[in-house]
Amino acid sequence: MLLYVARRIAWIATTLVVLSLLIFAITQMLPGNVAQIIAGQFATPDTVTAISAKLGLNDPYYLQYWRWASAVLHGDFGRSLIMERPIAPVLWEALANSAILASVAFIVVAVVGIGLGVLAAIRAGGAIDYGVSLFTFLGISIPEFFWGIVLILVFSRSLGWLPSGGLADPGSGFATHAAHVVLPAATLAFALIAHVSRMTRSSMLGVLRSQYVRNARAKGLPERVVILRHALRNALLPTITILAMDVGWLIGGVVVAETVFAYPGLGRALIFSIERHDLPMIQASILVIAAIYCSANLVADLLYAYFNPRIRYG
Amino acid sequence: MLHRRTFGKVVLGGALLSQSALTWPARAAAAGTLRVAVPSNINTLDPAKTKIGEEYIVGFLVFSGLTEIAANGQLQPDLAERWTRSDDLKTWTFELRKGVQWHHGREFDAEDVLATIKRILDPAIGSVTRVNFQIIDSMDAPDGHTVRFKLKIAYAGFADLFSDRQARIVPRDRLDTLASQPIGTGPFKFKSFNPGDRIELVRNPDYYVSGNPKLDAVTLRIIPESAGQVSAIETGDVDLVWNLPLESIPQFKNSTSVMLDSVPTSTWDGIIMNCGLAPFTDSRVRRAVLLAIDKPALVEFALNGYGTATHTMIPPGHPFYNNDIKIGPPDLAEAGKLLTEAGFPKGFDITIHVPVGRPTRERAGTAVREMVKPLGIKVDVQRVPWDKFITDIEGKAAFSVDGFYSRPTIDSSVYPFFHSTGSWNSTLWHYKNADMDRVLDASRSTGDAAEQARLYKEMQILALQDPPGIVPYVINHVNAYRKNVQGFHSSPMMWLDLRQVTVA
Repeated sequence: MLLYVARRIAWIATTLVVLSLLIFAITQMLPGNVAQIIAGQFATPDTVTAISAKLGLNDPYYLQYWRWASAVLHGDFGRSLIMERPIAPVLWEALANSAILASVAFIVVAVVGIGLGVLAAIRAGGAIDYGVSLFTFLGISIPEFFWGIVLILVFSRSLGWLPSGGLADPGSGFATHAAHVVLPAATLAFALIAHVSRMTRSSMLGVLRSQYVRNARAKGLPERVVILRHALRNALLPTITILAMDVGWLIGGVVVAETVFAYPGLGRALIFSIERHDLPMIQASILVIAAIYCSANLVADLLYAYFNPRIRYG
Repeated sequence: MLHRRTFGKVVLGGALLSQSALTWPARAAAAGTLRVAVPSNINTLDPAKTKIGEEYIVGFLVFSGLTEIAANGQLQPDLAERWTRSDDLKTWTFELRKGVQWHHGREFDAEDVLATIKRILDPAIGSVTRVNFQIIDSMDAPDGHTVRFKLKIAYAGFADLFSDRQARIVPRDRLDTLASQPIGTGPFKFKSFNPGDRIELVRNPDYYVSGNPKLDAVTLRIIPESAGQVSAIETGDVDLVWNLPLESIPQFKNSTSVMLDSVPTSTWDGIIMNCGLAPFTDSRVRRAVLLAIDKPALVEFALNGYGTATHTMIPPGHPFYNNDIKIGPPDLAEAGKLLTEAGFPKGFDITIHVPVGRPTRERAGTAVREMVKPLGIKVDVQRVPWDKFITDIEGKAAFSVDGFYSRPTIDSSVYPFFHSTGSWNSTLWHYKNADMDRVLDASRSTGDAAEQARLYKEMQILALQDPPGIVPYVINHVNAYRKNVQGFHSSPMMWLDLRQVTVA
């Protein structure tokens, strides 16, 4: 098991190195030149030349990459070209905000998604099953930004129950902070609940028809124990894979939800930096996102092993 | 209020029992705090490097200029109490206000002004206003509160340049931290910046105008989505929405709690025809397109009516605006005749490029397509991302819609665009007209306002006879504010003057 974990981590490291090369290459290919963007529309050529020289943009690419990569290894993401401040603190703060949003959404997705899936499987073919299907189809087929705006109009503008976006004022209580997370997290979760509940439903249906569930029922075990201890534990395996994939979805969704709800997280940091061609900031944000995605997959694999006694990595 | 409390009990009360669960941050804020919604992130706090309206707002609140453009367009003293110019308009002397304190406590003096201008002139800083100040030959400080500039050319509008957004005066001992911890002499002090979220400013008790500012604090909140902005001001999460998108205006028409304030600016969109590229190398083709454009209809279509049709970037209402020329309906017969003379009796096919995310320009492009159709000109509208637009379209494509912010002086609004050596001319339409050059050179080297007015009126005639491109309208700037905000007036320069504002 330890060996397996070590191997996986080595793989992740390799992936990240390759990714960092890709990120670096792609950011070099973005339309528009950094010095030009900084100097702006009014720039004279000598201004652009002076800025390029100051930023080392005239050095060969491999040198620029090496400078960047070795600094990142020392935990230094460099300085934002546009904001003129170290990237790391800005990035960590944005990451913390996004992490709160994403984890609340993730927990909602996992709990509600699995719950609805089990419910639909037990009542397969009934009204509840169809109701769950309809609800989840709506969530998956209509994009997040639409739901976000609908939620703002209903819960903030018409009903006035929740703030329309942003973070709570510094120093306000936990409840106000929590209230600011409700709508963006709900927006994020809505689309993903469908994935999880549909996967749980179908694997649950398969398991419920299996021999050992029939045996368990024949033994006279209560239905609750059959469903939760015997069926669900096995039915969860494919769901875990889906959940890990959803982390990737979640990161994409975060960009949308954060923009609609003016929530200062990683997604918006990325958008702002792309708008202004803030290369070090773009590179750092994408690298962090990639690292999160890789780690989520590692965790999924380990959970898989834990839930499935037949899998023993070694 | 009742429904909020009910919600607090039902949903949050379970998780949290503290009383704070029942109060909103909006209500908890200090009485004298104005909360403003702005759409884009503020990227830099260093005034020399600012480029977008949101950044100008911070620069205007935290820093002061030597001079200032008042709401009526007149130049007035700010950090400079008075100034004199030599008869040849080449030597300018500014006498500085005494006893002005920087936010970190030191007294403001002439060396700060010299350091500011020296920094703007440094190409590595990359300030967009550098090109304006390059006419400076030398500068010095005869005493601690006087600065003197010698110019390479006679320039009547030199004092106006100091009211520009990037020319805010910065402290010589805090140049390295301007982007993160700006220190100024303005009405508000910088407190904190949380990128993507908010900027907090607090009252400068030592501001040189006693009794100003009246607010205790200002919070700028970044809310990109217009639905979010509308909801935030309706529910009272913010007190003011800066530069309300034209599309959101109808939602407040009948509102009792939210007021709208609108002011004409000299911000304009332009229909750019590249004089260096076919078919626009022929002045008759450009004039034919101009004659086909129904400017008042374009105002309705592109701006929902929140703008004014104009001849050039000089806005109607300005003393230099040429009232003798009427903006009439399109003259398709004359346009057709010109096109035939130019060798396009059946029109031609062309692509017009519009930047994505600038809705007024996108709509203007579509309207132009329809307006030139009767001439046989078939236009394909192409939407281009903004960064690609700057690098690949501006000055390089034949046909596009671009747009520009108001500038502090008529000279800096016109000269860079219409003079053959103008900084913008070469990146926009490559226009060359000897009469235009003569008029613009003469107007910047005369100190006589009546003569300037005559010259600029001539300029407008030239710009319609031999058009560089089309400036169909100037745009209105609209702010929305809640009833509790008092003393607020929108500025034609689109920054926020909050010195007299109070919140009840």
